Amino acid sequence: MGGNKKLSLLLAGVLAVSVLAGCGSGGGKAAPNDGGSAGGTQSASQGSGSSQEQVILQYWNADDPSLQESKDAEKLIKEFESSHPNIKIEMQYISYEMLHDKLVTAINAGDAPDVSWGLPEWVGEFAAIDSLLDLTPYFDKWSDKDKIYPNVIDALKVNDKLVGMPNYLGIRALEYHEDMLKKAGISAPPKTWDELIAMGPKIKEAAGVDAFGITGTGVRVPQELIVYLAQNDLEIAEKMDDGKYKNTWNDDPEQLKRAAEVFQFYKDLADKGVIGSKTWGYQELDTNLALGQYAMSVNGAWQEQRAKENPDGMKDVKIAPIPYKLKPATYMEVVPYFIYKQTKHPEEAWEFLSFMMDKPYQDLIHPTNSARNDVVSDSQWGKDFMALSPTGVVFPPISLGGVTQAMIDSLARLYLKKDSPEDVAKWLSGAINDSLKKSGDLSSK
Amino acid sequence: MNAKVEKRDHTASIPDIAADNRPASRRTTTRVQRARRYALLFVLPAFLFLVLLNAFPLGQVVWDSFHYRNMVNAAQQGWAGLSNFVGVLHSEIIGKTLWNTVLWTVLSVAGEYIAGIVSAMALNQPVRGRAFFRGIIIVPWVVPIVVAGMMWTWMLTPEYGVINIWLVKLGIIDKPYYWLGEMNTALLAITFVNIWRSFPFYTISLLAGLQSVSREVVEAAAIDGAGVMTRFRKIVMPQLKTVSLTLIFMHIIWTAINFDFIWIMTEGGPFHASETLPITIYRYAMKEFDMGAASSLSTLMLGFMIVVFSLFYFSAMKKRQET
Repeated sequence: MGGNKKLSLLLAGVLAVSVLAGCGSGGGKAAPNDGGSAGGTQSASQGSGSSQEQVILQYWNADDPSLQESKDAEKLIKEFESSHPNIKIEMQYISYEMLHDKLVTAINAGDAPDVSWGLPEWVGEFAAIDSLLDLTPYFDKWSDKDKIYPNVIDALKVNDKLVGMPNYLGIRALEYHEDMLKKAGISAPPKTWDELIAMGPKIKEAAGVDAFGITGTGVRVPQELIVYLAQNDLEIAEKMDDGKYKNTWNDDPEQLKRAAEVFQFYKDLADKGVIGSKTWGYQELDTNLALGQYAMSVNGAWQEQRAKENPDGMKDVKIAPIPYKLKPATYMEVVPYFIYKQTKHPEEAWEFLSFMMDKPYQDLIHPTNSARNDVVSDSQWGKDFMALSPTGVVFPPISLGGVTQAMIDSLARLYLKKDSPEDVAKWLSGAINDSLKKSGDLSSK
Repeated sequence: MNAKVEKRDHTASIPDIAADNRPASRRTTTRVQRARRYALLFVLPAFLFLVLLNAFPLGQVVWDSFHYRNMVNAAQQGWAGLSNFVGVLHSEIIGKTLWNTVLWTVLSVAGEYIAGIVSAMALNQPVRGRAFFRGIIIVPWVVPIVVAGMMWTWMLTPEYGVINIWLVKLGIIDKPYYWLGEMNTALLAITFVNIWRSFPFYTISLLAGLQSVSREVVEAAAIDGAGVMTRFRKIVMPQLKTVSLTLIFMHIIWTAINFDFIWIMTEGGPFHASETLPITIYRYAMKEFDMGAASSLSTLMLGFMIVVFSLFYFSAMKKRQET
């Protein structure tokens, strides 16, 4: 009996200690040499007999692991580990849908990875949380720094500090089914908004499909809307003299008029039968272009993958600049890599990052959409998209969560709530400034 | 040996007996204390779990709701008083999301209960293949929510969704309809999918309850002239009362706080048409990084739930005491 009691006591004690240990943060944070958590290290001498410490880098990757490029990247990373025996890469695949929230949680828990993928919309907010390592000194010393397009590097700067490196570029262009246009007697894709709207009924009648596709919901709405705003010489938030930002449409009747014109263009697309659905997400948009459900849409070079999967349906797809009003513009999505301030191994993290930015890696993984000026594919998915980069616009480096939601809501107000274009423009201007105020980015000027 | 013991017992003086009893009493008290101590020790892990995993986070949420907590705005920190509550209650969409939460919860739970009891009654009949049907009906409930959500999203797509194809072929609608993309149908479509997934839980629970209803009593009532509906109302339903109330109250909580189905299928859209309170809380926290607003809305929701269930509990207790 006494033995049982002691055993019970021991078990209860072990359980209590386990609970406390389990609830506590990784011991690796306190003791950098035990290899416990993000950026932790472990002694290689335990396994190999070497006295050199092996650094483990946590790397969160948002690519699709089933793609060939992911398999190629894994192979190259293995080679990197062989050539850098002091660095081990622990890679996790986490989809973009999950990655943002997981990163926010990890950053706040003090458990961020060393290196991760990101999206351009996160640059401002992660910089505001003060979670990103300033890469300026590393980049300045990097031998290949001249190989990166300067406007791409500018897109990743916040307050003159480089907070990310370009993973790949998602430049947007007009993708169109040439055969459908020809069937309607149209020899060239539309250059302006008016031309696009005029083509709508002709294509519908001749090819039996909608002329154009847009996204009406989800993350790509702001990416499309920012292009049309830029094409009408508008910014969603202007940098003011105090270094902060403000949407100025409601202060300037001329700007407000141009913003209303953008929403009038969206309205005309629907009213004049140029588009079918007003509420597609990006999956529907991409899939339906590949299936030939409509003739044209603003899309990215990732559609090359669909062309490989569906060569018959995509064989007549060609690339052109996006139709514009006042001036040509496209969205230049600079998809970043981040190194986090919480890393204990910034040198090794940069070593790994610069390896992924090197030409051999980019040649194999991003032949058509690299940010390096010496990696350009001759295919239309490469050079035709890259040719548009001088007209590329990017989001300002502000916390964008509320701003992009307001942009999505603005289209819903136009299409679903049937607000007038003028009212939508006014509302969006106010909503952007409300969001800037909340995040502390609003200028007082 | 025995005689010696007997002699000593019989000749013992009162003070001696008292003296003998004192250590015995002390021993008893010590044993009780020890048992209590062990009991406390064994409760300790559960208590720690409760404090660390439930009480602490809940307390933190309530605490944060009275503070400015903005992750991207370092200037917005400190004591907020009731500002966060005022802010969320004055937001443009709060009325809409409150109504959506009520609608989503009431329609889901009512639909699940009706589908559950109908299917349970059917599966309680001695029909051929009953065991097979009892097994297969559980399938929707074991499908992970993310899989069910994505599957139904594809099925409801206007361009290539099988639901639209069937409805058009049957002549119910003229052309494909974007069930999840229109403001007046998005929430109802997700509610339908939620009912589809959750009703099997009601079915198996109610089926278990139905099997305890005495067949003899039902037959006797039938002989006495009670019709089907009367037998159902007067005999079957009273015996399902406990299991029904348990199911309904559990599902009110589970449904009101459900996040994943709605997020997977519409993310609360279009234009907040399917946005419920948990989605709004998520937006405040993870999109706007306004933890103060997210916490205050969570606190309001928590307080509302506690009040409603306390009222129900105390009124049920009162009724029980009266009867």
